Amino acid sequence: MRAFLIAILISAAAIGQSARDDWRSYGKNFAGWRYSELAEISTANIAQLRPQWIFQTGVNGKQETTPLVFNGMMYITAPSNHAFALDGATGRPVWHYQKQVPAGVNVCCGQVNRGFAAIGEKLFKVNLEATLVALDAKTGRQLWETTIDDIKKGFSATVAPLAVKNLVIVGIAGAEFGMRGFIDAYDANTGKRVWRFHTVAAPGQPGGDTWGGNSWERGGGSTWITGTYDPELNLTYWGTGNPGPDFFGDERPGDNLFTCSLVALDADTGKLKWHYQFTPHDVHDWDAVADPVLIDLNVGGKRVKAVVQANRNGYFYVLDRTNGKFLTAKSYTQVSWSDGIGGDGKPKLIANQDPTEDGNRACPGIGGGHNWTATTYSPQTGLYYFNTTDGCQLYYKTKQEYNEGMWYQGSTTAGFATEPSTGSVIAVDPATGNTKWRWEMVTAPTSGLLATAGGLLFGGDREGYLIAFDARTGKVVWKFQTGGVIIAPPVSYAMNGKQYIAVGAGAAILTFAVR
Amino acid sequence: MAQNPYAADLKAPEAGRGIFRIYCAPCHGLKADGGRGPDLTLGTYTAGDSDDALHRVISRGVPGSEMPDFNERLGGDNIWKVVSYIRSAAKKDATLPKGNASGGEKIFWGKGGCGQCHQVGTRGGRVGPELTLAGRRRSLAYLRDSIIDPNKDITPGYYTIVVETSDGKRITGVQRGFDNFSAQLMDAKETYYSFWKTGVKSLKREFRSLMPAYDKTFSPSELDDVVAYLYSLRGN
Repeated sequence: MRAFLIAILISAAAIGQSARDDWRSYGKNFAGWRYSELAEISTANIAQLRPQWIFQTGVNGKQETTPLVFNGMMYITAPSNHAFALDGATGRPVWHYQKQVPAGVNVCCGQVNRGFAAIGEKLFKVNLEATLVALDAKTGRQLWETTIDDIKKGFSATVAPLAVKNLVIVGIAGAEFGMRGFIDAYDANTGKRVWRFHTVAAPGQPGGDTWGGNSWERGGGSTWITGTYDPELNLTYWGTGNPGPDFFGDERPGDNLFTCSLVALDADTGKLKWHYQFTPHDVHDWDAVADPVLIDLNVGGKRVKAVVQANRNGYFYVLDRTNGKFLTAKSYTQVSWSDGIGGDGKPKLIANQDPTEDGNRACPGIGGGHNWTATTYSPQTGLYYFNTTDGCQLYYKTKQEYNEGMWYQGSTTAGFATEPSTGSVIAVDPATGNTKWRWEMVTAPTSGLLATAGGLLFGGDREGYLIAFDARTGKVVWKFQTGGVIIAPPVSYAMNGKQYIAVGAGAAILTFAVR
Repeated sequence: MAQNPYAADLKAPEAGRGIFRIYCAPCHGLKADGGRGPDLTLGTYTAGDSDDALHRVISRGVPGSEMPDFNERLGGDNIWKVVSYIRSAAKKDATLPKGNASGGEKIFWGKGGCGQCHQVGTRGGRVGPELTLAGRRRSLAYLRDSIIDPNKDITPGYYTIVVETSDGKRITGVQRGFDNFSAQLMDAKETYYSFWKTGVKSLKREFRSLMPAYDKTFSPSELDDVVAYLYSLRGN
């Protein structure tokens, strides 16, 4: 009954609403705000914030999960096909899911997983070998498992699914292995595929003429970060990754649609409503997978239903989410490849920024800009928060033979020993992209962010600090050394009337409260 | 002993080069002639000179060194192609150190004062990077560059930290830890310090080495000898 009521509440709500005490989806609400309306923990009492319990997963690798919390339980995924249900009050494990990762799974960036999706009492997660599994939240019992695609072709899966109505929408990874990307929707009850949208257009389809020869067959376009959803428009928004081979663009002349783009799809059919390409013919591995966050904004005196993205190419973008129209863009870090984005939404390219055999310097570096880590929007401050990596790299290119399922990146990048990348947490006005405050960090940041109604912003760093900022000013008001790198985004929820902050750090999950 | 199935495949070295540039070049150099990792163009390898030995060391890595295992990431087949590339990159006139290692050893511990900061085996200081296996891990050119131009490449974690304390004292040392809130460092006398940023006047990391450049200290033949000594440090 409760789940039913929540479903009603969500489907009827304006953009940005969610169940206050729970954390039921990757982005907390459909709009991807990651904003907690809880205010017990606030700028006034933050000094009292202290650990409540710590759960050690015992699983090595990068912890990237967004914990889901409801019914007094916390549900987390962990690297290498592990997942756990934890008792919310004590942190003690209630059940443990594990599936052996088969040999032959190729992943670019570790055997990671970014979390569950939930519909009622069902949980959904992907496994690395490109399968989607449904579990009973109470027992951890497997309800079904569906193969998304074939690992021999280079596919793998790491994304947290997005639950929309009775559909489980997932993206795919593998653009470094010559696959052709897509976004899929599955029936939550049966695991049967309902639709598939290919992120690389085939000949004869719209966008199919943006690929030379048969390069589209291995064109990449991964979708490894969870999309968002506008219930009123019934559109789901997904960012798409780099074309393949990453650095050797000669192999794929043309704009390479729909890579490095934002696509808006009809949630029921997967039909493309509109697309916007941030980086035509990308050769720097600047995936456009960063959170596409839905905010209603005043842009140039007009109220717009907007979607914003801090793109890996160094620009923050505002688009009209009803039709994909470009509204504005602003660089938030050092950018060498273009001199701004024109009114037509196309980048004004600067010459000689592409990779070469001997290495060519370009900014941002391969990770961006802003990469994938979770961003947050606070309706309380009206600010949008994300982390940035600030620096440049040498980009190389190499012609590479294609072998099915094998590395197909077309070379590499290198940093500069005496000029390592640094980073920052920044707060921008989402209507203009103007930076309101910037907190500089000594190394490129790794962690996702969380905003709360207590006037706080939570984030972490590579060196293990969980940090609370005054969301308005960027002043650090609290910190805690967790002992492990923080990559995962913090979340907040209330249990028995008490507000918690939780975050994955190293191989552990830590929770905090003020009493 | 396993044979390279691509030994006679003329395309294999080029395929291997593509993989090499992604995975191996960051340490072994774009042309395989070494850098932070050993020079692979010498035609002779610490792990053994057979294709099988090269395949094994790439697959499994070298435990306790910076060389990771690549079997999971690349698969055996791709590793054979990398082996083919490494074979093709070998120079016939491989460069060997021209100096005298035992002479270099005397300079290292004597005139150069290198041992004040660097550890070899159980001997030497702890401020700079350990050199016990320097000859195995670094190329000849890298070793030479490190002596005459220490800032050319800095071993990660060995940057310089400069602190000005609240009473105006200036402390310079080698980084032991550095994060958004604090720094830990060791000065040339091996004194250890730890500071919160909020407790000092200034605290910064400089991307330079504390090691002095030796281009004027050593004669060309002394430099050759020290390079030869470092190159001989292979854990034997």
